[in-house]
Amino acid sequence: MKATPPARLQLHDLHLAQGQRSVLEHVDGSFQPGAITALIGANGAGKSTLIQALMGELRPINGEVVCTVPKKRRAWLPQQLALDLTFPMSVEELVMTGSWPSHGAMKGYCAAHYRKGREIMARLGISNLAHRPLGELSGGQRQRALIGRTLMQEAELLLLDEPFANVDSETVDILIRILRQMADDGVTIIVVLHDMDHLQRLADDVLMLSGGHGRWMAPSALTHSPATAQVVPFTLGEHHVGSV
Amino acid sequence: MWDLFNAWLIAPFDYGFMRRAVVGGLALSLAAPPLGVFLVLRGMSLIGDAMAHAILPGVALGFLLAGFSLPVMSVGGVLFGLMVALLAGAVSKMGGQREDAAMASFFIISLAAGVMLISLGGSSVDLTHVLFGSVLAINSTALLLITGISTLIVITLAVIFRALVVECLDPLFLRGQSRHSGWVHSVFLGLLVLNLTAGFQTLGTLMAVGLMMLPATSARFWSKRLEGLIGIAVVLAMIASTGGLLLSFHLDIPSGPSIILLAGAGYFFSALFGRYHSLAAKLRRKTTPLAVEQGY
Repeated sequence: MKATPPARLQLHDLHLAQGQRSVLEHVDGSFQPGAITALIGANGAGKSTLIQALMGELRPINGEVVCTVPKKRRAWLPQQLALDLTFPMSVEELVMTGSWPSHGAMKGYCAAHYRKGREIMARLGISNLAHRPLGELSGGQRQRALIGRTLMQEAELLLLDEPFANVDSETVDILIRILRQMADDGVTIIVVLHDMDHLQRLADDVLMLSGGHGRWMAPSALTHSPATAQVVPFTLGEHHVGSV
Repeated sequence: MWDLFNAWLIAPFDYGFMRRAVVGGLALSLAAPPLGVFLVLRGMSLIGDAMAHAILPGVALGFLLAGFSLPVMSVGGVLFGLMVALLAGAVSKMGGQREDAAMASFFIISLAAGVMLISLGGSSVDLTHVLFGSVLAINSTALLLITGISTLIVITLAVIFRALVVECLDPLFLRGQSRHSGWVHSVFLGLLVLNLTAGFQTLGTLMAVGLMMLPATSARFWSKRLEGLIGIAVVLAMIASTGGLLLSFHLDIPSGPSIILLAGAGYFFSALFGRYHSLAAKLRRKTTPLAVEQGY
């Protein structure tokens, strides 16, 4: 599955700062197409900062982010709280906005787009909600609608910030299945996670941020290594261990 | 009965200025409410108010230079409004201050400057005209200006509609999708300024914002869908502007305030009896048991 294709997203000796404060230093790594990478770390470890840099919103102090995915095919799913979900828009309309890269801002949607939108909603199990306003959805339903938008967008690089927060277990199952399918289709997925159970079910790789540095590990390392006892609570942010 | 109808609703339009005023009002009613709906949805309701004050110095300068010439005053208003919008944007980017804070500072300066300029050059009658509008001021040139600007606003809004919707919901998504995302906000502010400039001739600079905001805020009580909000707001604005003009004609009161007060009456009515979130809707909810919806 992830045999040889070149990494579409690479970090070279990345140094990131917010204002005057260094957040991350010397972060290296490459994200393979078709791999799901979990990004973990305590609050303030630099997860959001790294995501900003990956999306091209934050210029590195040093080093570089090399991304060969065109900007239009990069999807970023913020935590739900960051969105104004009281906006009077239906689920279908939200999903359809994902057709922007292929369709631009001006042209109307054609039948093929609507068909694709409906297929996507069916896949996510939200067909019955197509005309429901966003404001009336539950957390899980919203999350599915937002994932629907990224499917519509045919994203090649997908970043998700805690997609399973405030979401019911049925939705978690569906989302994990869909994300897996997307990865199998070659999408590079990076997901910020806090829940170790979700991580075990979803991630191929783990990038752990702590003390201003990034550390790559296998998901299994988080459960089986002798260091687990310290690592897990640490990554969950339950104990305060050092700082930058 | 027919005589009464004729005397109240038809006869006033025998006068040319009333015909021009009503056409101008209807044109504005097409352009202003959609802008208002977006302002309300983006939580920027007061920005419209701020911009209305911001165009005043430009209007006043035009007045000083060319007398009561609507085209010159309008150009002045547009230029000044855009300048304030740009300055406010620049200050907020520069200092990390929120745009509304910067806007609030600029608009109060503008208001003072505008009133000062007008009183330097004219009488208090002129000041009243500029601040509160006058239907008598609408000649053919002014009407052409109003309808032209309204057309431009409606067309531009149609072009940037999807981008505007996406920006309201998720600005980051828009930024990822389009290199021109920064423009959407600027174009929107530009339309706002244009609309207020078109509106000040009938409504006055201070009242022009009312035809934008009141129908939009009233529509929130009647619809939960964007198309619905815009459609209802446009209809409410048309009723208010036409009805307000007639009231102003018959009762010999200034046109601006009477149009806006009528729109205001519509707002109170909506807040009391509207379909959603109104007082009546709240009472209804108390008397009928909530349908139990199965879901998560």
